[in-house]
Amino acid sequence: MGVISVLKEIPGLLVVTWALLGLAIYAGYRQNWQMRSVAADGGYLSGLGFKSEKPAGIFRWLTTVDHKDIGVLYIVFAAGAALWGGTDAMMIRTELFTAGTDVWSAETYNALFTTHGLTMLFFFVTPAFTGLANYFVPILVGADDMSFPRINAIAFWLLPPAFFLVRGGLITEVMGKMLAAVGVRWELLFSLRPPTLGWTLYAPRSIIVSNPQVDLVLLGLHLSGLATIMASVNIIVTIFTERDENITWANLDIFSWTLLTTSGIVLFAFPVLGSALLMLVADRNFGTTFFAVEGGGPILWQHLFWFFGHPEVYILVLPAFGLVSLILPKFAGRKLFGFKFIVYSTLAIGVLSFGVWAHHMFATGMDPRLRASFMAVSLAIAIPSAVKTFNWMATLWGGNVRWATPQIFCVGGIMTFIIGGVTGVFLASIPVDLVLHDTYYVVGHFHFIVMGVITFAAFAASYYWFPLLTGRMFNRRLGRIHGYLSIVGVFVAFLPMILIGYGGLPRRSASYPGAFEALQQLSSFGAVIIGIGALIWLTNLVQSYRLGPIVTDADVWNLRETGQFSREWQWFEEQLEDRTKFRR
Amino acid sequence: MNRPLSAIAGGATGIAVMSLLLLFLEVETRSNLAIFEAVARFAGMPGNVTFGFVLFVLAGVFAWPLAFMALEEYIPGGPDPATRGMVLAAVLWVVFVLTGRGDLSGGLLAIYVIFTLLAHLCYGFLLGAVYGRLTSEGPVESERYDPSDVSQ
Repeated sequence: MGVISVLKEIPGLLVVTWALLGLAIYAGYRQNWQMRSVAADGGYLSGLGFKSEKPAGIFRWLTTVDHKDIGVLYIVFAAGAALWGGTDAMMIRTELFTAGTDVWSAETYNALFTTHGLTMLFFFVTPAFTGLANYFVPILVGADDMSFPRINAIAFWLLPPAFFLVRGGLITEVMGKMLAAVGVRWELLFSLRPPTLGWTLYAPRSIIVSNPQVDLVLLGLHLSGLATIMASVNIIVTIFTERDENITWANLDIFSWTLLTTSGIVLFAFPVLGSALLMLVADRNFGTTFFAVEGGGPILWQHLFWFFGHPEVYILVLPAFGLVSLILPKFAGRKLFGFKFIVYSTLAIGVLSFGVWAHHMFATGMDPRLRASFMAVSLAIAIPSAVKTFNWMATLWGGNVRWATPQIFCVGGIMTFIIGGVTGVFLASIPVDLVLHDTYYVVGHFHFIVMGVITFAAFAASYYWFPLLTGRMFNRRLGRIHGYLSIVGVFVAFLPMILIGYGGLPRRSASYPGAFEALQQLSSFGAVIIGIGALIWLTNLVQSYRLGPIVTDADVWNLRETGQFSREWQWFEEQLEDRTKFRR
Repeated sequence: MNRPLSAIAGGATGIAVMSLLLLFLEVETRSNLAIFEAVARFAGMPGNVTFGFVLFVLAGVFAWPLAFMALEEYIPGGPDPATRGMVLAAVLWVVFVLTGRGDLSGGLLAIYVIFTLLAHLCYGFLLGAVYGRLTSEGPVESERYDPSDVSQ
């Protein structure tokens, strides 16, 4: 009887999607994860096991100052944070599956979207791209290592404590529950509750809320800002001073160019966030009035926050643009069209990004003349973004496009960026923004970019460089399945949000009128598709790392025939030659 | 390392990660899922969370890994022991869902079903992977990758 009632209560959609996941993984096993007998050159080293004098095992990872190891640490940390933040997202979509507040309480729901935002922006995207920068920038510019290897290590090791502070309420509660499981109950550990303020931490609510966890969140964010600044200084100095003699500004690769610009933005944006956070901490604990009505007022927080917050958007997206510009031409068989203009547009975005912050505040009643000037700059920043898009299209034009997994993600990323960008242009316009402000339209708009092009570029890079990082090839069929599932998933999940926003539904509410239920359910279904794709990605990379076919020829992607066998692959070829010397 | 010890090491790794995952899920969902009550029901000690959990850990560290070692040849999904471990864990998960779900329904049930399955698959994967790593003679070797092969 129990069996039948379970079958009745699990939604049919879930059964279908899980069956899909099972089939996809089965296809992978049929494909190439069959373990073969030990080959003649058994003992071949994988990419993470370079022959070196490093200590073995866990000590290697705790003590390393090698930029490649730190890059891997960053990437693994970012992947873990992304999966945790993704869990938050799935729980948000579960609550929104029905109109009422019937799965989680409203407080839990508020905590979920807060921690989802903080986790994804500060602990997934930024570390993911910093990790790629750490691994590849020294190789691409011909340096032996980053300029300041130890600062590099410190910058990484500040992140885990920062993450624990931001999500502290959960972690202390985990400890409390562990103690409770053996019969000890320590109330202090249960006193921190996850923050419910939203990632923007708007005053005055962020000052009034008495939850002590909010102070830990502020300190954690401050710490993560320090880590990000250190990493950026390192990237800037490395690119400026450690370049090989034959690397000039003219032939510096596009990925390093975007990271240089990104790091420049970080240098100006993150200190503002740091200062604002400390002022907020002081307001909460020491009776200052920076953001109180009798002091600077809540609007001051918004100005300071968005002076950091909008450049932050470009800190997240520029490395993704760099990856698309780097990877797309390799699978189009042509050189990147308009290289110079892509660099100029990157620099232009870097400068303009500081002039658009107040478009987040159109609805606060600012002076209309000021508002109009911010509208003008916000519309203007669409131009360099469009320059990139058209250059990518021109690169594909007449090219010999190969639909390898990284290319699927690049082209999918361009598609989602066009939707995300055009919806953004509308939001930059004051009259439209006044109607759509704080509705689901905004959520749909920025998810097309953060889940679309940013995450897609990260996925593309994870596949493109997987052979270089691990010495093994991933399962290409599963990779393609992941690519197509992700594109479909993003459109199914976030197009309904645009429509819901046109309907006028405000964001950040656990319950909503029943009229929106069908669209919300469609959106949740899209989220499940994205989630399935992410699990396929994880399975594929973990299993391919263990059992994938071994790479012996560095030209994994047939880049030599189009003259694009770039520096990191040449470096990989040398590594492979060195490694084969140790073959038995 | 000898086989029973390898299996126990795999089980210990698996159960440590799985307990942590379940604990995080429990806390993340503000105890709405009552995972540890479910664990207690699964272990045959309904209502007694502490002893239920101890039994759960003992089973995860000793009983299932040793059973896995004995049955390995007969479990589908080989020759990779990690896949076989996941198959075993999926079977265990079916029992876990049936015994442990209490009176959950709707969205909560969906979350419970999906995340406990993931936790079980993690357990099975780690059990098999660690066991395979400790018992095998050398590094796992597989075919060479041929860039000119575009059949995949």
